[in-house]
Amino acid sequence: MLDIAGLSVAYGGLRALSEVSLKVEAGQFVTVVGPNGAGKSTLFKAISGIVPAAAGSIRFDGEDLLARAADRRAHLGIAHVPEGRQVFKTLTVRENLEMGAYPETGRRQWVRTLERIHALFPILAERHEQLAGTLSGGEQQMLAIGRGLACAPRLLMLDEPSMGLAPAIADMIFERIAQIHREDGLTILLVEQRVAEALELSDRGYVLETGRMVLEGPYQTLLSDDRVRRSYLGIGDE
Amino acid sequence: MDAQIFFENALNACVSGLVIGCIYGLMCVGLSLIFGIMRVVNFAQGDLLMLGAYAAFYLVVVWGTMSALGPAGPFVAALLAGPIVFCLGWLLHRFLLSRVSGLRTAGSLDEGHFGQLIVTLGVALILQNGGLILFGSTPRAVSTPLSSAAWLIETGPGDTTIFLNKARLIACLVALVVVVALWLLLERTRLGRALRAAADNPTAATYMGIDVDRAHRIAFALGSAVTAIAGGLVATYLSFTPFMGIDFVVIMYAGVVLGGMGSLLGAFWGGLTIGFVQQFSALALPPQLQNAAIFVVFLLIVVLRPQGLFGRSADRA
Repeated sequence: MLDIAGLSVAYGGLRALSEVSLKVEAGQFVTVVGPNGAGKSTLFKAISGIVPAAAGSIRFDGEDLLARAADRRAHLGIAHVPEGRQVFKTLTVRENLEMGAYPETGRRQWVRTLERIHALFPILAERHEQLAGTLSGGEQQMLAIGRGLACAPRLLMLDEPSMGLAPAIADMIFERIAQIHREDGLTILLVEQRVAEALELSDRGYVLETGRMVLEGPYQTLLSDDRVRRSYLGIGDE
Repeated sequence: MDAQIFFENALNACVSGLVIGCIYGLMCVGLSLIFGIMRVVNFAQGDLLMLGAYAAFYLVVVWGTMSALGPAGPFVAALLAGPIVFCLGWLLHRFLLSRVSGLRTAGSLDEGHFGQLIVTLGVALILQNGGLILFGSTPRAVSTPLSSAAWLIETGPGDTTIFLNKARLIACLVALVVVVALWLLLERTRLGRALRAAADNPTAATYMGIDVDRAHRIAFALGSAVTAIAGGLVATYLSFTPFMGIDFVVIMYAGVVLGGMGSLLGAFWGGLTIGFVQQFSALALPPQLQNAAIFVVFLLIVVLRPQGLFGRSADRA
């Protein structure tokens, strides 16, 4: 479904990503883990077209994404739930969800998706007239995910959904993400720093370090890899 | 007796403050869309207002296109100034402002404000002096038979009379209709929501599939058009020259800040407040000091309520 090959991104003279390749098959749950500054968010921004690619290719269902303007990519069925939530603070909760349903497919399925979003996150139904800027961090994260789902996407990209949240809330968010994947069969690409939880949910994982993919494979392989265990899970045989 | 004259004057100041204030409110709403919501500094806003006034002047007086409409002509011309200046605003944004605003400057330190300041100051100078070449420096007016007619309302104790200038009252009603229409457009339509989302968070709006550059262009053109309509309305009761914009740009910025950045209706109330203060100060102060009175009130409100009269503190922390 998503096929990235040899992707490089540079900010000014600085290489943020070099020759990154990644594959997501339809129906899969794929996770990219790595430390701060490894280029995880840059990878997402390149897929969404907010930063330009210096080299390489990104294909979505065989279509060349780099040939499309950034705002057209959402219309292909790619939902990007950005790092730091980035909800529309001056719009109400409901208007935020409506903005998520801006692409044609989202509008056609609006009634059904809204019902689904409210079933997943009942608090959003309760708060639907409230300005998004007045929500708590956890609620904003739920709204950001709901907004992503509102376009009835084929690929849901989640950038650090647990960032800055209390552990209990983060657990709940992870549970919902797993539920979305399990029950709706949605293809998910997740970037996370909470490596153990993220990898447990995934079919495949990638490890990104200083702009390079250093490791990839099914999650069992990654979880048993010594480097991953030592660096990210804090368990090792030292 | 003195008390009664004062009462009558105060009542009239109140009514004309309301009427003038609605027109100020309309021009403030135009700037609010550009400066308050889209966060683009536009020093040429007053000159767009001037273009609106001249558009109405040419439609009515020079070309005589409105003669069939009788006394309604000047007000229809004022509304038509909207689409004309909309096109100009579109082009201004397409070729100049899009280079210093929107996604291009979203993450930068000053959010493009320095660039916008210089570009729009340049545009303002070109419009003023271009206007001087094209329109001449003779003060113009779009006079209608209504400009010098008034409704008299006899009321209150001892034959107090309120004078309602007909042209101003109709201009005020047109202004109200335009403000309500614009508010409905922004609050109730998909386009309006997209404009607000694009202003709120350009990056996230792009993730939603909104063409942010286009949204900003529409908002800029729309804000230009609304202010131009206000200019066309001002022209029905005030004579003007190509340099009229300077007086009004000050009122507009004060109105937008007074009402609270980011709030369209707030800007309208801000403009209305300024109209009131201006008319009331005429009771006690010489005309030269009327603008000073506006700024005393402005400063008071900024000190006592920095988020503006109607600003929501959750808007932008």
